[in-house]
Amino acid sequence: MLNEIATFLNGAVNGAEANAHLAEVGHGCVTVDASKLFGCAKALKESQEFDMNVLQVISGVDFPERIEVCYMLASFTKNTEFILKVKLPKTTPDAVPVIESVCSLWLSADFLERETYDMVGVRFLNHPDHRRILCPEDWEGYPLRRDYKVQETWNGLTVNPEEKVNNGDHFFFKDIIEKMGDEKKKVTFSWKGDDEEDEKAKAKETQA
Amino acid sequence: MSGITPDISDFATKDNQIGHEELTFGKWLGNIGHAVRTCFKGLMITGRYIVAVKPVTIEYPEVREELPSNSRSRLFNDVDNCISCLQCAASCPVDCIYITATRRDKEAPKLKTDDGTPIKLDLNQYTIDTALCCYCGLCTTVCPTECLTHTVDYEFAQYTLSEMKYDYLAEDIRAWKHRVVK
Amino acid sequence: MIEINGKEISDLTDLQDEKMKSDLLTLNMGPQHPATHGVLRVEIKTDSEVIAEAKPYLGYLHRCFEKHAESIDYRGIVPFVDRMDYLGAMGMEWGYAVTVEEMLGTEVPRRAQYIRTIVGELQRIASHLLFYGVYAIDLGAFSPFLYAFEEREKILRFFEEMSGARLLYNYIWIGGVWNDITDDQLVRISKFIENLDEELKKFHALVGENKIFIGRTANVATVSEEMAYSFGATGPVLRGSGVDWDLRKKRPYGIYEELDFDVHVGKGEKGTVGDCWDRYQVRVLEMHESIKILRQCLDGIEEGSIMGKVPKVLKVPEGEIYMRTECPRGELGYHLVSDGGKTPYRLKVKSSCFTHVSMLPALAPGQLIADFVATIGSIDIVLGEVDR
Repeated sequence: MLNEIATFLNGAVNGAEANAHLAEVGHGCVTVDASKLFGCAKALKESQEFDMNVLQVISGVDFPERIEVCYMLASFTKNTEFILKVKLPKTTPDAVPVIESVCSLWLSADFLERETYDMVGVRFLNHPDHRRILCPEDWEGYPLRRDYKVQETWNGLTVNPEEKVNNGDHFFFKDIIEKMGDEKKKVTFSWKGDDEEDEKAKAKETQA
Repeated sequence: MSGITPDISDFATKDNQIGHEELTFGKWLGNIGHAVRTCFKGLMITGRYIVAVKPVTIEYPEVREELPSNSRSRLFNDVDNCISCLQCAASCPVDCIYITATRRDKEAPKLKTDDGTPIKLDLNQYTIDTALCCYCGLCTTVCPTECLTHTVDYEFAQYTLSEMKYDYLAEDIRAWKHRVVK
Repeated sequence: MIEINGKEISDLTDLQDEKMKSDLLTLNMGPQHPATHGVLRVEIKTDSEVIAEAKPYLGYLHRCFEKHAESIDYRGIVPFVDRMDYLGAMGMEWGYAVTVEEMLGTEVPRRAQYIRTIVGELQRIASHLLFYGVYAIDLGAFSPFLYAFEEREKILRFFEEMSGARLLYNYIWIGGVWNDITDDQLVRISKFIENLDEELKKFHALVGENKIFIGRTANVATVSEEMAYSFGATGPVLRGSGVDWDLRKKRPYGIYEELDFDVHVGKGEKGTVGDCWDRYQVRVLEMHESIKILRQCLDGIEEGSIMGKVPKVLKVPEGEIYMRTECPRGELGYHLVSDGGKTPYRLKVKSSCFTHVSMLPALAPGQLIADFVATIGSIDIVLGEVDR
C-alpha cells in the first residue's frame, strides 16, 4: 500500500518527492518534501481511493541533525492506516524548524500540533492558537529534545531544589553513620502496635 | 450595536431547545406520568437497600482486612541471605535502592545463604527509599536468593520523609523477620 | 471629554458600547473541581448561565512520561505505563506489550492470550462501572455511585489476588503475563459475572431510564459523524455517533478474532444520534458484551505456559512502529522508535482522551453550564492519560 500512496502523491502534487520506505521490522512510512506537506495531506484526504479522514497523532522525533514529524493518517471507512513522514533539517542545534499546519483539514491537528511545538520545538504556520499546551506558557526550551537542559528558575522558584532531588543517598548515609557512632541505634520505627509484637517475639526468642 | 456586543441570539441554546414539537396538555400529562413511573422504579431499587441488604462497610481499625498473600506492600530484605548481586538496584525503574558492598578477604570464614549460595561480598549498606518506591515488584522477581520479598504490611505511614528510608541492616527492621508472610 | 482605557469618549452612545463590551463573565472551572474528572482547567466565558466560549488548559498532571521512557529499559517502563490511565491500567499495559512484541516478533502462548483477554475485559467492566457511577453523581444522583463501586471493588479484589495490586498492576509483561491464574479464581470470576449481569439491568433501570437523567443528557452535546472523524474521536465517543468502529473487530489483536460479540452503536433512542445519552448507552451495553466475552474465555482457556521466549537483556531491533489497541476510553496508540539499544529512542503515546478534550471548545458554545458538566462527564476523560 505504501508504494501506491507514493505513486499517487507523486502524480497528484507537483514536486512532492514521495518515497515509500518499506521495513522488515515494524511499520514502513512514506516521506514527502516538507514544503509540499499541505498539498499532499489535502490530496490524500480528498481522494476517493484513499479517503484519509482521520489524523490520529502527530509525533515529533528529535535526531542530531534533523527533526522528523510523523503524521499517522487513517481511513476509518476503508480500514487502512499509514505513517506520513516529513524530515525537517536543523541548521543549528537550537533551531526551530517551520512547517505548514494542517488544522484546516483535520480539527484534531489543533491540540496535536500544539503538543509537538511544546515538546519538540516545531513551528506551525497558520495555526489558530499557537502556544504551549502541557508546559507553562513561559517555559523555556523544548523538553523532548535530546540536548535539553532544565532551566534553573521559573518565575522566581527553583526548578529542581537540591534537597529534593534523588542523588543516590550520599547525604543520607553520612547522616546515618554520624548518628550511629559505634553501635547500631534505632533509625526507623514502625506503627505502635508492631513495637509490642516485636518485643514479645524477642522475649520469646531469648527464652527459647 | 452589532459587531461590538455579542448578541444573545448568536449563542442561544441550540441543544436543549424544546421547541421542536408542540406541547399539548395530553403530552404534558404523559411526561409527568413517565417521570413518576421511572422515579418510582428507581426508588424501589434504592429502597430495597434500606431493608434487605447487609452493609458492606468494614469498620477499620477495629476490623482489619486480610490482604491476599501475594499483595505487593511493604518490602522486606533478609540481609543475612543477601549476596549483594545488585540486581534489584539495577532493575528498579525509579532507582530507590541504595547498596554499598565490599569484597570479603580470602582469609575470612566462608559464609553461605540458606539455599547454599556462597556470599562473596559484605553488605555495608542496604537502604530502600520507600517513599520513592512504586511497589512494582520488579526487584523481587530478579532477586536470585529470594531474600527481597513483599509483605502484606500496609500500615507504615510516617510523619517525615527521612523516616521513609528503611535501613535494612538496622536491628529493629531485622526483627520483622517473624512477621514475613510467605 | 472623558477617557476610558486610553480612548477618548465623546458622547454617551460610545460609553454604552464600552460598558456593554464587558458583558461576558470569565469563570474558571478550575483545576480543583469535583466534576472535571481530574485536574482539568476550563476557562468559560458565560453570559449568566449560557456559555459563549470554553478553553481547556492542560498540563496540571504532566509528568513527562515520554522523556522518562527514553532512559528506562523496556521491562521497567511497564509500571510507568499503567500510571497514565490509572483507571484502566490493564489496557495501557496490553497496548505497550503488543507494540514491543510486534517489533521483537515474539509469540505469546495461548494461555497468556486468554488471561490477557480475561483481565482486559474485566478492566473494561471496571472502568465503565466507574464511568456509570461518576456520571450519575456528576448529575446529582448520589446512590448509583456506591452501587457501581461495590461491584468494582469485587473486580479489584480479583486483580489483587492475581497481580498483587489494586490499581497499578505491572501484570501484563512483554511476552506474557506475570502470575498464573488458578481454577478456583476462574470459578469465582464466572460466579461474579453471572451476578453482575443481573445487577447491571437494575443499574440501568435506576439511572438510564430515569426521566430526569434523560432530560439532562438527551440532545446535549451532539457529535455528528463528520465532527467525530475530523476530531479523531475513537471508542465510545465515536460509536455513540453511530459509527460501527471497534478495533477488536476491525484490526483484531490477541484472540479477539475467535470470540463472538457484537458492537453497539448509538441509535438516538432518546434524542439525537450522538448525544450524551447515546454515549452512556454504548458504554452500558459494552459491559454486557464484555460479560459475553468473559464467558467464552472462561470456557475456552487452555493449559500451557504463561510467558513466551524473551531474551534476558531486551534489545529491540532498529525501526519504528505504531500499534493501536482498544482501551475502555478509546484507541490507545504507541509510536515506538528504536535504535537497537536497551531503552527506546522515542516512545510516543497517543491517548484518546487528549483528542476528546480538544472537542470541548466546539461543543460548549450555546450550552448551559449544567449541560457542560454533562458533556465533560460523557466523554469520560482521565487526566493522567491526557497529560501523561
